Amino acid sequence: MRRHNHVTAVAVTAVAALLLAACSGGGDDAGTATTSPATEDSTATEAAASTCEAVNVFLIPSPSADAIKAMTPAFTEATGINVEFTEVEYGTAHQKALLSISSEQSAFDVVQFDNTFLAAFAKAGALTDISSLAADSAEYDMNDFPASLQNYGDFDGAKYGLMLSTEPFIQWYRGDIYDELNLKPATTWDEYKSNAQAIQASGLADGQMLGFGPNTTWWWMQVLWSFGGALYDADFTPTVNTPEAVAATEYYKSLLEFSPQGALGATGDDVTLQFVGSDIGQMVQYSGYAAGIYDPESSSNAANIRVAPVPAGAVNTVELAGWNIGIPSDAPSPECGWQFLEYMLGKTNAKTLLENGAAAIGRTSIIEDPTLQEKYPYLSLLNIAPDVVVNTYPQIVVWPEFDKVASDNLAKILSGDIPIQEGLDAMQAALEPVMAKEPR
Amino acid sequence: MLDAQHNEVAGAVAAPAIPRAGRKQSDWIAKAAAKRGMLLSIPAWVMIAPLFFLPLAVSLRLSFYDKSLGLPVEPSFVGFENYRTDVFTSTFAEALFKTLVILVLGLLIQFPLGIAIALALHRRFRGRGIFRTLILLPMLLTPVAVGLMWRFMYNPELGIINWWITQLGLPPVDWLGSPWPAVVAVTLVDSWQATSLVVLMVLAGLSALDTAPTEAARVDGASSWQLFRYITFPALLPILLVTLMLRVIDGFKIFDIIFILTRGGPGTATQSVSLLDYNVAFTFLATSRASAIGVVLVLLTLPLYFLWRKVAKLQEQA
Repeated sequence: MRRHNHVTAVAVTAVAALLLAACSGGGDDAGTATTSPATEDSTATEAAASTCEAVNVFLIPSPSADAIKAMTPAFTEATGINVEFTEVEYGTAHQKALLSISSEQSAFDVVQFDNTFLAAFAKAGALTDISSLAADSAEYDMNDFPASLQNYGDFDGAKYGLMLSTEPFIQWYRGDIYDELNLKPATTWDEYKSNAQAIQASGLADGQMLGFGPNTTWWWMQVLWSFGGALYDADFTPTVNTPEAVAATEYYKSLLEFSPQGALGATGDDVTLQFVGSDIGQMVQYSGYAAGIYDPESSSNAANIRVAPVPAGAVNTVELAGWNIGIPSDAPSPECGWQFLEYMLGKTNAKTLLENGAAAIGRTSIIEDPTLQEKYPYLSLLNIAPDVVVNTYPQIVVWPEFDKVASDNLAKILSGDIPIQEGLDAMQAALEPVMAKEPR
Repeated sequence: MLDAQHNEVAGAVAAPAIPRAGRKQSDWIAKAAAKRGMLLSIPAWVMIAPLFFLPLAVSLRLSFYDKSLGLPVEPSFVGFENYRTDVFTSTFAEALFKTLVILVLGLLIQFPLGIAIALALHRRFRGRGIFRTLILLPMLLTPVAVGLMWRFMYNPELGIINWWITQLGLPPVDWLGSPWPAVVAVTLVDSWQATSLVVLMVLAGLSALDTAPTEAARVDGASSWQLFRYITFPALLPILLVTLMLRVIDGFKIFDIIFILTRGGPGTATQSVSLLDYNVAFTFLATSRASAIGVVLVLLTLPLYFLWRKVAKLQEQA
């Protein structure tokens, strides 16, 4: 009898909860319409900004985020604006930020995000169009950026994010090993492989390092584009099993032979850790890893590491990654947010940001500074030549799922479970329903 | 006469008959007590409901819509579409299979090892306290710290595990880069941490055991194995059942160790159902699809509780 009454109480409570949930609204609005900033006039902006007392900044742990935090006391002293930071680890950051913005919590004035989520954020109406703010700002100075980098953060013709870091793939190599074997930095993928073979045969080191693990698509895309392939066409139909894709994947897989043990499971971070911690002749990796690569405390060969542009294939292309930072569409004080961004990412403090450990931003005034080039040898490579095709991560909402499906299928190919053509055909079939979800 | 006397004695030793009016009163008291108990437990249920039932209800409702954080459209009702695209798929089946493999392999390691260690630690010897503390240490570490530590140990070139393997003359293993070695690697790490719980529970059970049957059996010449098989193990069964239930539920939820060690890779070789759900929710931003997977996960683990209750009840009756 007693148990019956308890069960009844539980059942009543459960039903009440179900009814409560069923009667609740139709869920959160998927997003708000993008809003223009409150004012586009710089004088008005300054006037509005002078009333700012605090800004709330959403950051994702990274060297760039650390540099921003390090510069904040100076910002507060200069402007009188206090800064509150919320840091969320990468794995859940974008979901949390989107949820906060789409439910109009007005929690943040500034939000950092990975460029791979630009499309999702923009499509959801989560970001403020800052095109005119950026264009009109003498401090930000869009003309200080090479043409190839000026639209990083643009989606559908509008600018939703400023560039927080410029991270193209570059070639890193051990100068001491190259000198000993009389090798030159590769200008083509064939030369890259040839160098890897020579290094491996010499016994001095493992030939090369790319990541064939959970982040394998980072490198596979670079090789795919170099071989003239593409991920999808203009109709959003995947094109990952074309002859170019097969050739690219064959080449990519062949590099495993010259890779150290553990390359098959290596994440993006592992690639750098292994390169700096053991004897590997060369690697292709984002420039954003420079701080760790050149740090003598973590990199046993820091003094011997040199850089060169990423090798070219049939197409001379480079994959460009990096952080964006923008103003949420529900920002309580977008003018204050813009003032914060101008200070942190403007021309005046660009050098300070770099010297505080941030990944470099590809401003011409920075990358062509001889003093900085001497201190940061990779800087000149951020000035991407006009004849190089710059490929950013695909700006599609379904990119995270596309990436996961592609890397899951690549894992089977790389481990030898299935032949390359069969694996790419399976990838193609798996990607078609994913791309079907992409809003047209 | 004798019958009368017999009845008199029987009446004296039998429970006194409750008069009809008394029976009604005791029934009423029992009902009132039950009602009072129910009323007193309602505040606890009111606290639990929003934390358990409400999220479950919201999740269930969400699973029938097509809500995605990255899409600008109002979510619409799609019925069982999310279940069709994300649950009744080979990806989910593979994730469930891998979850069960890691779980079963883990149990096969944790229970025999945990029981053996607990039996050893139950004996009196010098330094027993220190050993007990050391054995419990893995359980106290955060899964993230454990995963990172083991990730370095599993490194094919720099890790200590492969160093030991090569010292034995065997070829090194790419633990985290090959599908089945990765499954074994994850299982070993999970077991390394979970065995402490088994040891703790069994130790507690051993401490509560009545020593008289064991002593009597020892006097009768029973061997250690006979003592364990016929006395200790049956007495420990209730504790072992509880521990088994806890471990099975934990096993279905396994996430953090896999996330740190392999991210579910290589490919989907070590992707558990929880990790799949995480990817759909936080990487793909597909909230409704993730809810569908979550609902199914709850449905899979709920019967375990009722099964345990049934087994425990049978145990009591036996």
